[in-house]
Amino acid sequence: AEALLQSMGISPDIPNGKDTHTHTPPHSSASEGNNRGNVMLPWDPDPCALQLHSDSELLGQGFRLGMAKVTQVDFPPKEMVSYSKETQTPADTQTHTQAKPEEEMADPKPAEDSQEEKADEEEKQEEVLPKELTEEEKMHLLNSEEFMAFFDRGSRIVERALSERVDVCFDYSGRDLEDREGEMQAGAKMSLSRVFSDERWSKNRVVTCLDWSPQYPELLVASYNSNDDAPHEPDGVALVWNMKYKKTTPEYTFHCQSAVMSAAFARFHPNLIVGGTYSGQIVLWDNRSNKRTSVQRTPLSASAHTHPVYCVNVVGTENAHNLISISTDGKMCSWNLDMLSQPQDSLELVFKQSKAVAVTSMAFPLGDVNNFVVGSEDGSLYTACRHGSKAGISDVFDGHHGPVTGLSCHSAGGPVDFSHLFISASFDWTVKLWTTKSTRPLYLFEDSCDYVYDVMWSPTHPALFACVDGSGRLDLWNLNNDTEVPSASVVVDGSPALNRVRWAHSGREIATGDSDGQVLVYDVGEKICVPKADEWTRFVHTLVEINENRDEGDELAAQRLLA
Amino acid sequence: RFSAVFIFSPKQAEVEETLKRIQTHKGVIGTIVVNAEGIPIRTTLDNSTTVQYAGLLHQLTMKARSTVRDLDPQNDLTFLRIRSKKHEIMVAPDKEYLLIVIQNPSE
Repeated sequence: AEALLQSMGISPDIPNGKDTHTHTPPHSSASEGNNRGNVMLPWDPDPCALQLHSDSELLGQGFRLGMAKVTQVDFPPKEMVSYSKETQTPADTQTHTQAKPEEEMADPKPAEDSQEEKADEEEKQEEVLPKELTEEEKMHLLNSEEFMAFFDRGSRIVERALSERVDVCFDYSGRDLEDREGEMQAGAKMSLSRVFSDERWSKNRVVTCLDWSPQYPELLVASYNSNDDAPHEPDGVALVWNMKYKKTTPEYTFHCQSAVMSAAFARFHPNLIVGGTYSGQIVLWDNRSNKRTSVQRTPLSASAHTHPVYCVNVVGTENAHNLISISTDGKMCSWNLDMLSQPQDSLELVFKQSKAVAVTSMAFPLGDVNNFVVGSEDGSLYTACRHGSKAGISDVFDGHHGPVTGLSCHSAGGPVDFSHLFISASFDWTVKLWTTKSTRPLYLFEDSCDYVYDVMWSPTHPALFACVDGSGRLDLWNLNNDTEVPSASVVVDGSPALNRVRWAHSGREIATGDSDGQVLVYDVGEKICVPKADEWTRFVHTLVEINENRDEGDELAAQRLLA
Repeated sequence: RFSAVFIFSPKQAEVEETLKRIQTHKGVIGTIVVNAEGIPIRTTLDNSTTVQYAGLLHQLTMKARSTVRDLDPQNDLTFLRIRSKKHEIMVAPDKEYLLIVIQNPSE
């Protein structure tokens, strides 16, 4: 037997891990050797084959047992290291007592041991044992990404819920009815509805631009310039305010490194907000990202803008739109919002091949994507067009005596088209009414005693526009009523300079931003802002009168000159 | 209540600010942040009250959530508000955490 084993190459001393190998090979080769006369089969290491051999052997004659040493090799089972943290839901009510000693071991820096222990003791009595976490663990949790995301959502909802003071359980029977203030407001012309201001982000900054969301009429974006008192805070801030809830904090807060001079909701991209900055960069913020900084920025290069961008606007249709931006060096770029690394198209706005126009405001007439008007720092107004053989500045208007601060094209659609009309505001204390068909102004509104900072046509009423000036006045002019004085006027508390004015898309509310970083929203009385059916025809007559007066005025002026 | 050694990241500071703002809102009695197992991780109330609120509201939120999902598996709980004679308890739930705010609405 020994000899056989040795011939197989197995010495009894050599350990062999698998039992099958030691048992069967001697049999198989032995039996085969017997049957076929010493023909050694190659040792088939496959245990199954060996097993077959041995089975056949067993069925036949008896087998010879050989001694073989088998070394036991014991592989310990793989240790699954687990930190048991089990849930405390009452359905599986079991006192997880084993958790406690583990937790104590894992506790490296017990910060408040005594409190925890006391709490633990109390909890022992309860059926469900909530565990305590160490301070470190808590801080770790609080710093985690998921917590930030949860907290951002949760706190937003809770803050809105907290601010709503609706008491659904109010009982009218045993209590005095509160005074109904609502009735008093109906007759008022303009009433202050909301004031939006943020202690940290809007204080000491000037509101540079306002825009209402085309998609959610309650959202309003306000951009701010730098805070001189806080040099470490970002220079540019844009806050999105929500009119729908009484929450006094912004819905979204966005920053960038340079003061934001203009901001707009990207019209066909509901999640994006575009900002034009003092450095010439155009930044894009996305409310889907958790960051407060911009998700995209245009490069600071000569191909884009290197001067402050006061005008940004998305023009076009859903399938074919561009972001148009103009900086104060006269450069106009048109961008594709998906790719801000370089402008799709750029154009230098120069007048008569020499002077670049320092554009401070821009407006596109309703429905027009090619022709637009621009106002410049030197008080001139120009029409221009984007495409075509004569792309660039087309006509110059008589303009103002001071920098143009605001431009607005007529946008109230109705039975008559007034889209050739536009109004401009300027540092020269006046607002002028123009038509693109003539280079002389149609009318001059000189009711203000301070720089007029912005002007805007009502989106719904054809003869109504609003203007704001540096003395804190917000004026509403209804040209069908009176062209000499505003039909409604309100002075903001504290008389801060009002930098911007924007009608809401409904035409019922007006937002204005002041130099103290406040955004004030006024409700406009129905009598003033809701147009009646005949407003358009009345406005036609008003324009005719204005035209006649202008011609008369010109004649008189001409006569005086001659005389 | 909490040890003075904090490691503040800027985001953490914002969280602190928001929590403080919620806590100082008119009528708010307490604010508690609870994790998925019902363990309070931030609170402005004393320990025993916190533990009580956290435990009970955690159970209630789980029950409410399971109710909503049983009625319609595609649905989920987004906000829970309990109005009682004396208080209003608001719970903003999430997969992992709960934000509990107790307010006295009559103030």
